Amino acid sequence: MDWRLRNDGDRLVASPTGRVDEDSWKAFSTHLTAAVRDAVAAKAPLVIDLSGLEYMTSKGLRALTMAKNEARGQVAIRLAAPNETMRRILSISRYDMLFPVVDDVDQAG
Amino acid sequence: MLVRFWGTRGSLPVAPHADVALAKVARALVAAGGRRFADEAEAAKFARAELDFATYGAFGGATPCVEIEADEDAFAICDMGSGLRDFGLSATRRCAEGHPRVYHFFLSHLHWDHIMGFPFFRPAYETGARIVIHTGHADAEAALRRQQEAISFPVPFDELKAHIEFIVHRPEESFEAAGMEVSLVRQSHARGSFGYRFDRPGKAVVYSTDAEHKPEDMDLEEDVEAFFANADLVICDTMYSLGEAVSLKQDLGHSSNVVAVDLCHSAGARRLALFHHEPSYSDADIQRMHEETLRYEEAVRGERPRLEVLCAYDGLEVSL
Repeated sequence: MDWRLRNDGDRLVASPTGRVDEDSWKAFSTHLTAAVRDAVAAKAPLVIDLSGLEYMTSKGLRALTMAKNEARGQVAIRLAAPNETMRRILSISRYDMLFPVVDDVDQAG
Repeated sequence: MLVRFWGTRGSLPVAPHADVALAKVARALVAAGGRRFADEAEAAKFARAELDFATYGAFGGATPCVEIEADEDAFAICDMGSGLRDFGLSATRRCAEGHPRVYHFFLSHLHWDHIMGFPFFRPAYETGARIVIHTGHADAEAALRRQQEAISFPVPFDELKAHIEFIVHRPEESFEAAGMEVSLVRQSHARGSFGYRFDRPGKAVVYSTDAEHKPEDMDLEEDVEAFFANADLVICDTMYSLGEAVSLKQDLGHSSNVVAVDLCHSAGARRLALFHHEPSYSDADIQRMHEETLRYEEAVRGERPRLEVLCAYDGLEVSL
């Protein structure tokens, strides 16, 4: 799993690539928590661009929950551009009811 | 080894109302499309071949009770939910054919849905029956006695005729029982629960119900994976979706289908049985959860061999 974070106007866009699984979830979670802190400091929403992710297991999903808890409602966390597999995983886990999911990074606000 | 599921529902026994049966019959008749059957056997063959399980069958509504048949000298039973009543009747029949009247119970914990079947366990009323209750909870005897106090039940515990003994085990200390090596592990649940692993040469079954796998405790899951390692069957609490388990249902002590798949994948387990079904779920809801779990397993399998995912129902038998 690789990770990239960029400022995009009035928001932060995180772009993990590869897989988030039992081997990579700790790195994903560490990056994610740091990104949430950056977003809180900047008072900017955090968009997670999922387009480069092959899939994410429950460990990655639960890392998203920890990130949401870290944000404490101070900034929005939005998921964008999941591939078909990720969209299926978000639906099966009902995480599409916990996080806003949009088709395109540009739609994520 | 043979695993028989006598109760698979969580929290509360449930039974279908009349309109549930009517809907299933109506769906089956529509699916039959006017075709004629020579007899009920032929109609049943059609139902199994052409209808989904939620239409021709039912997942059942008895609370947790799972028999593990591994030894001709003793019965082994996980938990005493309302499914225990049916097991007791079956065991009585088998004992009449010569099976020894020795029963080893393995209690996950003492919440009501896991002990409520014991006052209705017929062998407990039989002189000469021997009942050994293995538990990680020092107050297991108090819990069983309490539910047979006069305010709750007409027959006091002391009037049971069987010889009943309690053995309190410490986690991670294995022991021999019912022809198996048994180990237990502490799990996250209100007042704690225990998962059990049953090993015979070349075969292993894990019973892990009422266990919450919280996001903040993911670092500890390597221990769970080690406990599940290479098991032929893992029976796992999958009461909620992960989304529910980390939000509305957090801290209620239950797990999800997707976490169960991931734990089994990492552990190299061969089969997963979805278990402790939410009592408000219809048969169609449980079937949908099973189908979604199959899709999830395929999505995150990667280069691993396929994990077989079963959906436990009252009456299911799994041969290992």
